[in-house]
Amino acid sequence: MQVKELELKEVLATVFKVDQARIDDDASPDTIESWDSLKHLMLVLALEEKFNISFTEEQTVEIVSYPLIKLVLAEHGIGLV
Amino acid sequence: MEAKKIINKIRSRSNPQYSEYIDLCNYVDSDSPLVQELPSLKVAILRNFTVELLIPVIKAEIFLLGFRPEIYVGSFDAIAHDVMSHNSDLFQFSPDVIILDLWLNGLAPKLVEGFNGLSETSRHDEVDRIVDELNNIIMSIKQKATIPILINNFPLPDYASAGIFDSQESDQQVDTIINLNRVLLQTAKKYSDVYVVNFMTVFARIGSCTIDERYWHTARAPLGRQSLVAIGQEYGRFFRALKGKSKKCLVLDCDNTLWGGVIGEEGLNRIKLGNAYPGSCYQSFQREILNLYNRGVILAICSKNDELEVLSVLRNHPDMVLRERHFATWEINWNDKAGNLVKIAQELNIGLDSIVFADDNPFELELILDQLPEVEVIDLSGDPSPFRSKLLMRGLFDSLTVSQEDKGRTDMYLGDRKRKQLLATSTSLENYLCKLNMRAGIGIPCDINIGRIAQLTQKTNQFNLTTKRYTEGQIREFLDNPNYDVFYIQLRDRVAELGIIGVAIIQYSSDQAFIDSLLLSCRALGRKIEETLLANIIQTVREKGYKKLVGLFVPTLKNTQVADFYKKCGFELMKNEEDKTTWLMHVEDKEFSGPEWICVQKLYEARG
Repeated sequence: MQVKELELKEVLATVFKVDQARIDDDASPDTIESWDSLKHLMLVLALEEKFNISFTEEQTVEIVSYPLIKLVLAEHGIGLV
Repeated sequence: MEAKKIINKIRSRSNPQYSEYIDLCNYVDSDSPLVQELPSLKVAILRNFTVELLIPVIKAEIFLLGFRPEIYVGSFDAIAHDVMSHNSDLFQFSPDVIILDLWLNGLAPKLVEGFNGLSETSRHDEVDRIVDELNNIIMSIKQKATIPILINNFPLPDYASAGIFDSQESDQQVDTIINLNRVLLQTAKKYSDVYVVNFMTVFARIGSCTIDERYWHTARAPLGRQSLVAIGQEYGRFFRALKGKSKKCLVLDCDNTLWGGVIGEEGLNRIKLGNAYPGSCYQSFQREILNLYNRGVILAICSKNDELEVLSVLRNHPDMVLRERHFATWEINWNDKAGNLVKIAQELNIGLDSIVFADDNPFELELILDQLPEVEVIDLSGDPSPFRSKLLMRGLFDSLTVSQEDKGRTDMYLGDRKRKQLLATSTSLENYLCKLNMRAGIGIPCDINIGRIAQLTQKTNQFNLTTKRYTEGQIREFLDNPNYDVFYIQLRDRVAELGIIGVAIIQYSSDQAFIDSLLLSCRALGRKIEETLLANIIQTVREKGYKKLVGLFVPTLKNTQVADFYKKCGFELMKNEEDKTTWLMHVEDKEFSGPEWICVQKLYEARG
């Protein structure tokens, strides 16, 4: 499935309550203050809802940066355009 | 207007998503003046699991009801500690509602995961122990404050520990948990204002994926995404009922809403209605509407049709569940529906914000959302099979009690129609009021009607001098307190029994009596029955030896009609402040009696 990268950024921006422009390849708990453990749980739920997928427990722990999120989404067959 | 877009999206969507709630919650947390100006609703959540993911939904639901949420979350699994002392953080926070969020695995892990290792006696012991523990928590809260408590029951396991054998014997796992839930309900019923939140039905609603095993193990956060949304919404229903925001009237379109097809084109024999699809969808929708009717919801019709054609369906179609007598009023014509809804509200003497409008036509729904934003709409466009659940899912009509008055509500409005005929044949208003043959009874609330009294304080908006909302528990406190009197007034006339239609609460201090609340249901307006109630107050106050009676008028958007009430009744203005006016009557030298055409009976013995 192909989705617009903008849609992915929107999910992160909503969950972390930041401007979409802040979501780039550097985005991680180190650069985004509100990315704490609770918001991380919310992020997982929001991504699963948006793309209608289900992460494994391992994946939920892995996706701690924007590039890693893209990588794991690719494992679920979701490509960004 | 970003916020309005999100709000309408959530309101009209049949299944709003978790992310949309996060989005709305971000807005609620912002410092927008639109949010800041709202009255607050403070909710304390005491819990034995991770509820943090639930909070965006709860906050958004509170906001959608017109309040600014303030949330207090107790420490993880420390409920007994939270409720132990008067000056704990919990009571400092002074919540409007306390939620107990309990996960069975935390309370009694053996009942959940080690069930087969338990003897029959220890199964019973576990149930007793949990109920004791919860009873102590509730008692501890009740000793310190009158705050409504919401407590959840326990969902059933997806796989019972003894497999299919579990259902063959009593005292197996499912039976034990059902029994636990039953005892929990009995415990809750011992108190006023303790309400059970049924997690079993919430989970039944979602079907599968109720629990997130990953999050349970990693974060002690057991609720799956859909559960978070559904449980948050369920709490929203309780907040709606507790804060008096329940809707009173369902206004329905006809074509493709009550039946399939267009009566004007297809005719009585061709519209789709009956026990075969798709007619069966409309029938089951009508049955659910009838359920609402029997719960006290007023029904009305607003449709663009020929009136006689619609009436002929109501009267003659063999498969109609709803009949003419179920509808309190209707506007069936070709005028615009916004105007018609306003007329219906006026005729029924209710606010537009008490009305829910259901229609299949997106154009009409848009028009109402745009022109009458106070009205809630239910979008019935498309497939009729989910109509029933669309009607129920938001709990718009939910209330915490169903009184006798609720059940007879539409009869009441039919009575109104008869009274209007009587009025038309009367020479003057007084002549009409005399002809009505009104008999009033004034009483002190007791167990069977305290629910109705609390409900009246929660729902009455127009004839309400102070608009103070009280729970059953608070009414009970007033009754137990020698410094308070609570009176209700009930009414019957030659057309119908109106039931309890007014409440007065009086507070006594050393040198004066103070009218804390004085209100009258809209069904009894225009008969001067308020003067009968006031006369009783004045007499009581005088008999108790007080010389001064003080009343307050606190203006709201809806009670302007009573701004002059005290003045008209001979009170003097004492203080004129921006947010209230204070009125005084010297009762010792004041003769005040109610209208002579109302025959009054006292239903109580005077208290000391």
